[in-house]
Amino acid sequence: MTSDTPTDHELLTAAAGGDAAAFEVFVVRHRGAVYRYVHSLTKNVTDAEDVLQQTFLAAWRAAADARVEHGARPFLFTIARHALHRLHRSHVLITEDTVSLEELGSRAGFAAPHVTAERLAQAVEERAILAAAIEDLPPLEREVLQMRDLDGLSGDQVAAALGIGLEAMKSRLHRARLRLVAEVRRRVPTEDCL
Amino acid sequence: MNTPQDNTRQENGGLRCSEVLADLSAYCDGELSGSRRAAIEAHVRACPDCARFGGAFAATLRALREQLSAPADVPADVAARLAAALRRSRTG
Repeated sequence: MTSDTPTDHELLTAAAGGDAAAFEVFVVRHRGAVYRYVHSLTKNVTDAEDVLQQTFLAAWRAAADARVEHGARPFLFTIARHALHRLHRSHVLITEDTVSLEELGSRAGFAAPHVTAERLAQAVEERAILAAAIEDLPPLEREVLQMRDLDGLSGDQVAAALGIGLEAMKSRLHRARLRLVAEVRRRVPTEDCL
Repeated sequence: MNTPQDNTRQENGGLRCSEVLADLSAYCDGELSGSRRAAIEAHVRACPDCARFGGAFAATLRALREQLSAPADVPADVAARLAAALRRSRTG
């Protein structure tokens, strides 16, 4: 390893050579993000733990072939997503609604003069409101929002992890963000939203 | 008061409000061309509704990243069982 803080690539290269301690560092670095991802989709602690274990067992086995030069989260999320699909026979993530962008915007307060940016901005500063709003997103939208905005993956990385094209990912992300604003707005006291 | 339907037809800076709505994420992510970005900014300067909504949208993204981006670690018992599963796989 070349520094006090080894990269994911360095850790997995060492793991591929049988270095269990390096893999332990890798696991500790990423287990929280993987667990959050799978738990947000399953809403079930047993399933989330099952997928978490499957993900890191698969990562250990695939360490020699992993392409993680730009960080390991896309690699791990892709494994987790496949494990999740096997566990739920693809039922967890299949719902994609057909609400128009304008309708989503309207629900979010677009063109609603009495919803002030200041009031919504106050609401989103309340962590509990924001966290609850995320929980109420449809799974596909929660997934893309988490990867892009919470875990900070690039657009290309998210698209690859989701197995969709970049433009489709951007469209899904935009809908997710609008719906998030709508969910926050729904939690703002009614008199501020009329 | 403008209704959403009225507002999607409002045109400023060469763009309708509905076009600004469609481009908000790309704008916030810095993915628009210079001319498209300038058109959006011209529209927003002349359209209080889009300025207000764009501000709320951007504030939401900022708060999301600032408040929730760092994941909590897994519960201790989950971490212990994960470590045990990995040990078993190496020795089994």
